Amino acid sequence: MSALGHLIEQRGIATVALGIIRLHMEKVRAPRGLWVPFELGRPLGEPGDVAFQRHVLLAALSLLERTDGPVILEDYAEEAPGRLPRDGWRPAVDLPAVAIPAAESSAAEWVAALRAEWAPLVVRADTTIGGGRLAREHWPALLAGFASGAPPTQSPVEGLRPVQAARYAADDLTALYTEAAVKPGDKPSSAQVLDWFWNGTVAAALLRQVRAACLASDDRVLNLIAGQFVPAARV
Amino acid sequence: MARLEDLTPAMAQRLRELDCPVYPSAPFVAGGKLSSRRVAIVSSAGIHRRGEPPMMPGANEFRALPASLPAADIVMTHVSVNYDRTGFQRDINTIYPIDRLRELAREGVIGSVADTHYSVMGANDPKQWDALADQLVDRLRQDRVDAVLLSPV
Repeated sequence: MSALGHLIEQRGIATVALGIIRLHMEKVRAPRGLWVPFELGRPLGEPGDVAFQRHVLLAALSLLERTDGPVILEDYAEEAPGRLPRDGWRPAVDLPAVAIPAAESSAAEWVAALRAEWAPLVVRADTTIGGGRLAREHWPALLAGFASGAPPTQSPVEGLRPVQAARYAADDLTALYTEAAVKPGDKPSSAQVLDWFWNGTVAAALLRQVRAACLASDDRVLNLIAGQFVPAARV
Repeated sequence: MARLEDLTPAMAQRLRELDCPVYPSAPFVAGGKLSSRRVAIVSSAGIHRRGEPPMMPGANEFRALPASLPAADIVMTHVSVNYDRTGFQRDINTIYPIDRLRELAREGVIGSVADTHYSVMGANDPKQWDALADQLVDRLRQDRVDAVLLSPV
């Protein structure tokens, strides 16, 4: 965002950039930047904490009144409290005990296991699911096709390759679980939620198998997109 | 938390070696008091209106987010899976502080909130963003925006 700050400011509008990777801010030298010591994906620091977000936002916006630039790069001192595990947190949903299929399982076995596991999961009214533009009932067969080495030749989503449709279905599948795991008012760390998802669910095992199958494919496009099914820290 | 030493070694190395643009000039637009500014948010989170196609890697475009667009009508299709999305799932203001901005406008801390905000795909190469910046600034000017908050993921 520091680069876009430079480009917008160059065209005559003042900017201030929040930044999470300080090294990049130092390299790009945006007109005004506030480095925040938060995890990637949380530039305002703390979900659901109005006071904390407001403090971060005001610290950034206040740089717009400074006249001692360029370049202004300040550090935000306060860590986000939600980075720490919340004692006693438990997922808001109990998943049925479903055996994780072996790597060489058929697509039908993966589909059955996923459907059995996700049965209790209910989509929130304010869900973030939907980027993939594919209804939930189509995700299992699409992903299981890739996992079993027999991807579909026709894409279920107009304008996307089958593997692209699967890649966004994977995001939506992950969100189905991680949204359901946190009930309103709960404040687990991201690591707690993601540990729960990636360390024991059929869904996570399926995504890892999709990744492995895409990496092993002769299709260069599948090789390239393989890394988008599982975070590097969760491979 | 997002200090490089907190990330996986491979990711820290990739970020350390990322080819960031280096500019020969250092523009700086001075402005008035915050209380007179009209502020827009530009996010690099790859967020957009529900139902639109994903924001694809390599597509140097922006998407418009009307200020009136409810959070439940916003989805995220950023190409990277290597950052936290659970914060966004719990509260969109974690990445796109539109409610906080509205509160500051109501209190007179800022002058006003832009009618439209914007999102880009942060994983794309900003060295290819000159045309994007031209179009984006045109839109911001039409909205009388004179201050932009850039919010990454």
